Amino acid sequence: MFAYYLRLGLASLRRTPMITVLTIAAIALGIGVCTTTLTVYHLMSSNPIEHRNEVLYAVTMDGWDPDQPWHSDRPHLPPPELTYRDAQALLESDISDRRVAMRKTTVAVEPAEARTDVAPFLIEVRLTTGDFFAMFDTPFEYGSGWDAAADAEANRVVVLSEETNEKAFGGIDSVGRTIRLDGRDYEVVGVLKDWNPTPKFYDLNNGPFDESEEIYMPFALGETQEMQPAGNVNCWKNEQIDSFRQFLDSECIWIQFWVELGSPAKVERFQAFLDAYVGEQKKLGRFPRPLNNRLDRVSDWLDINEVVQDDNRVLVGLSFMFLAVCLLNMIGLLLAKFLGAAPIVSLRRALGASRSAIVKQHLVEVGLIGVAGGIAGLVIAGFGLAALERLYSQYEHLTRLDVAMLGVGLVIAVATGMLAGLYPIWRVSRVQPAVYLKTQ
Amino acid sequence: MLELGPILSALSRNRVAAILVMLQIAITLAVVANAAFIIEQRLEKMSRPTGIDSDNVFFVQSYGFAPGYDALAVIRSDLDEIRALPGVVAASALSSIPLSGGGSQSTYQITPGEDAPTVEGNYFEIDEYGIEALGVPLVAGRNFRADEVQTDQGVTSKFVPAVIVTRDFARDLFGDEPAVGRQVYDGLGQAATVVGVIENMQGSWVNATRLTSVLLHPRLPTPPIARYVVRAQPGQRDALIAEVEHLLASNRDRVVTWVRPHDWFLDRSYKPDLRMVVFLGVLIVWMLLLTGLGVVGLASFLVRVRTRQIGTRRAVGATRGAILRYFLVENWLLTTAGAVLGILLAFAFGHWLSNEYALPRLAPHYVALGVLALWILGQLAVLVPARRAAAISPAIATRTV
Amino acid sequence: MLKMQHVGKIYRTQLVETHALRDFSLEVAEGEFVAVTGPSGSGKTTFLNIAGLLESFDSGSYWLDGEDVSRLNDDARSRVRNRKIGFIFQSFNLIPDLDVFDNVDVPLRYRGFGAAERRGRIERALEVVGLASRMKHLPAQLSGGQQQRVAIARALAGDPRILLADEPTGNLDSLMARQVLDLLEEINDRGATIVMVTHDAELARRAHRNVHVLDGRVSDLAEVPAVQSVERVRA
Repeated sequence: MFAYYLRLGLASLRRTPMITVLTIAAIALGIGVCTTTLTVYHLMSSNPIEHRNEVLYAVTMDGWDPDQPWHSDRPHLPPPELTYRDAQALLESDISDRRVAMRKTTVAVEPAEARTDVAPFLIEVRLTTGDFFAMFDTPFEYGSGWDAAADAEANRVVVLSEETNEKAFGGIDSVGRTIRLDGRDYEVVGVLKDWNPTPKFYDLNNGPFDESEEIYMPFALGETQEMQPAGNVNCWKNEQIDSFRQFLDSECIWIQFWVELGSPAKVERFQAFLDAYVGEQKKLGRFPRPLNNRLDRVSDWLDINEVVQDDNRVLVGLSFMFLAVCLLNMIGLLLAKFLGAAPIVSLRRALGASRSAIVKQHLVEVGLIGVAGGIAGLVIAGFGLAALERLYSQYEHLTRLDVAMLGVGLVIAVATGMLAGLYPIWRVSRVQPAVYLKTQ
Repeated sequence: MLELGPILSALSRNRVAAILVMLQIAITLAVVANAAFIIEQRLEKMSRPTGIDSDNVFFVQSYGFAPGYDALAVIRSDLDEIRALPGVVAASALSSIPLSGGGSQSTYQITPGEDAPTVEGNYFEIDEYGIEALGVPLVAGRNFRADEVQTDQGVTSKFVPAVIVTRDFARDLFGDEPAVGRQVYDGLGQAATVVGVIENMQGSWVNATRLTSVLLHPRLPTPPIARYVVRAQPGQRDALIAEVEHLLASNRDRVVTWVRPHDWFLDRSYKPDLRMVVFLGVLIVWMLLLTGLGVVGLASFLVRVRTRQIGTRRAVGATRGAILRYFLVENWLLTTAGAVLGILLAFAFGHWLSNEYALPRLAPHYVALGVLALWILGQLAVLVPARRAAAISPAIATRTV
Repeated sequence: MLKMQHVGKIYRTQLVETHALRDFSLEVAEGEFVAVTGPSGSGKTTFLNIAGLLESFDSGSYWLDGEDVSRLNDDARSRVRNRKIGFIFQSFNLIPDLDVFDNVDVPLRYRGFGAAERRGRIERALEVVGLASRMKHLPAQLSGGQQQRVAIARALAGDPRILLADEPTGNLDSLMARQVLDLLEEINDRGATIVMVTHDAELARRAHRNVHVLDGRVSDLAEVPAVQSVERVRA
């Protein structure tokens, strides 16, 4: 019977080509627009490290200005970064399974003498303690990260991104080789595979959708080599800062800090440790604001930092309103079409079709429109996203149509079609047998 | 003869179809009015004057990395060489770039001390050619002197001896009083004299609330990063960019990271707003199109359903014009009914948007424009089916099949 | 086969109440060929609609093939229409974008027959009406008489207990009309019960019995005497 309805549906669609095209177009447009905005929204709001969401925590402490909170409209939130001295202090605790203190800087890469065709180039560096790689599950192409000893001794070792390895070494296994940065030699201990978590959850301060840094090196090198910060530096206190040392000791916040806590008990213990530490610091006159230390999981961290911009939310909402208009349009078209074919329905009823047979027949027809509209809509979304790419320039990874969104788009299409068809199908099912056949 | 009564009762017999079109019109009005409003806001935002000579300036970033790199010497020689190029109006060192997303901000006070009220200002560090190179005309006071330009090359909390401020910053700090000659204090109680006031200059961050509260500090950059601003004669900018790139490349102890016109930074800063404008623009067009199609569809349906009736009316004496008028009036009634609902929706939606997303309140004239657009759209859309109706032959009245 | 007793049907609009049928009683035996005549507005079309379970009625009772079909719900009525009744309408009512085969197929689909069974029935029905060679033709490619014959084939394909015809030759010229009527007689000879509504007295004479309807009820019987049963003549 389904095959029969399928045949009838296709014949019916062929019979009124204009209406068929319009109904499919109505769904396609609505789906196209919605899928486009939803894809961007979905990619923007995705959690790239979902599988470790329960164990990773961003650490923030409120040591900010007593006269005004960091966020004027959300005073319960501490600033997003720590001071250097607080980060150093926290690094010494071993309550957490793992911990990482980090910040950005820039260096110039001098390619090996052999490659004179490549000029020195500037890259962004992430200065981080060694736990970074295990905590954030970074994939390695060659080699690995460095150990605690390398951190403690501030060894000149680096992990390269795939791109940097490509540019500096032509992509070979460069583990053990030397790379010259800012006039100093470093040893390559690892090369990452292509890794660009979207959004860049571990450091949302400068561009949540920026690409990951190109070189990673031990955090302590930032101090021993006095490497200039390249991220956000914020200072509330009027302090005399005339040397790099004084800068490190100041109340300026510029360090990102994360911990890995494998159990609720550890979370509690670490929280207690934070509170105790701040209690001690308060006695020294620091941390003038009320005690407010937070441990936020990645999903919450992304919310707090408002990664998805308001604009995107507005666009998603407007898209669905557009879909509503498409739906209304469809209902009208289907109504006109089904009622226009009422005499034939009346005939079928006379010949013995039950109401449910008529309903099923038209459900299949509407389903066909839904599927066709969905496919056409996804094609439109494809074009839409390709066009959007120009408007998202450096954020290409925000305009990728992944399989999940394809599925969502199709489901919405068929659901919209069914919804639109409800009333017209109900009306056509009420056509009385042979009523339209009375000729006298 | 408007025949309102019969029109309304005829519509009520095809209630569902009429309601469908009315709802489409209502939602379309709500969306289009708000979308157009948002578009205007963004376009206004994107057209704000930068205050500097954006068409003709370009920026350079240089990063010195070789051991023993003498940053000051390189900066001085770079700028000398650049200034010597034909077509260069002026060149200066510059700490950060307006509307680039990167920069420095500090707090300033009229009187020293911990408890004095502070005003935030976005500051840029330039040398004595900075005003000329940026193209910001002075409206009061004077430019920096060469000896006022600080050259400390390490971390320092020393203030500068003089500052030049924008009119907006002067207003923030001094109110309506003249600023030139006044003292400005930093958080450590150090004083600087306001030596000049410029008309207008935008700061680093495109979404800042006090975007044009800007100061200029006379200071050369601290290594390793040095940035320059170069102002070209009109029409010479792109050629000069290539020349400067070539010129600076000879020094292999540093990386010339980029040489870029201000447009590059402006485009990047305004990309989100451009996105919004384009997307909303497309949405508006499609929505109007779709609603127009809905109107055409309904009208065609009604014409078909009423074919016999129309033929009969023509047979008893109605003119073609009367039939046409009937459909036009009917459509106008429908559009108006939909618009009434749409106006409510538009303001409700606008209210919600402004609360939820801190956008300004919907200006009523957008709703009015939307209603007008829908009236025109509706009448145009119904014209084709209505003309078809008017062309129905009166002979239909006597046909039996 | 068909037994209606005191059937009444009232059409109500906001303003008017019309008694289409009043106290309508009629019996048709199996194998009869009955013509129902009457002026327009007499209620004969209403009778046919009710006989065909196309409409419900307000009072009285109706037995079809021994089954009380008075108070059946919509689904049950559909089933009875499908299995027991064959319709022949005045306008041939073939579905324009289906070919002859598919048109005859329509009631069989709702019967639940398998593909082979349906094919067999369709072929046989088309043979009876003499159009087996036109299975792939569309209705637009057939003459009026041929279309009506396809409609008859459609009515026959499911082996209905009774055929209901509403002015079956109304839209045909005299030659084609005669052909169709010959066909109906032939089908009746094979044992089918036929009730035909017509306002054409000539046509009515070809039936075994005439029933005259006036003002919604059966008026005096026509010239041809009632026949209680008919012997099927086997060839």
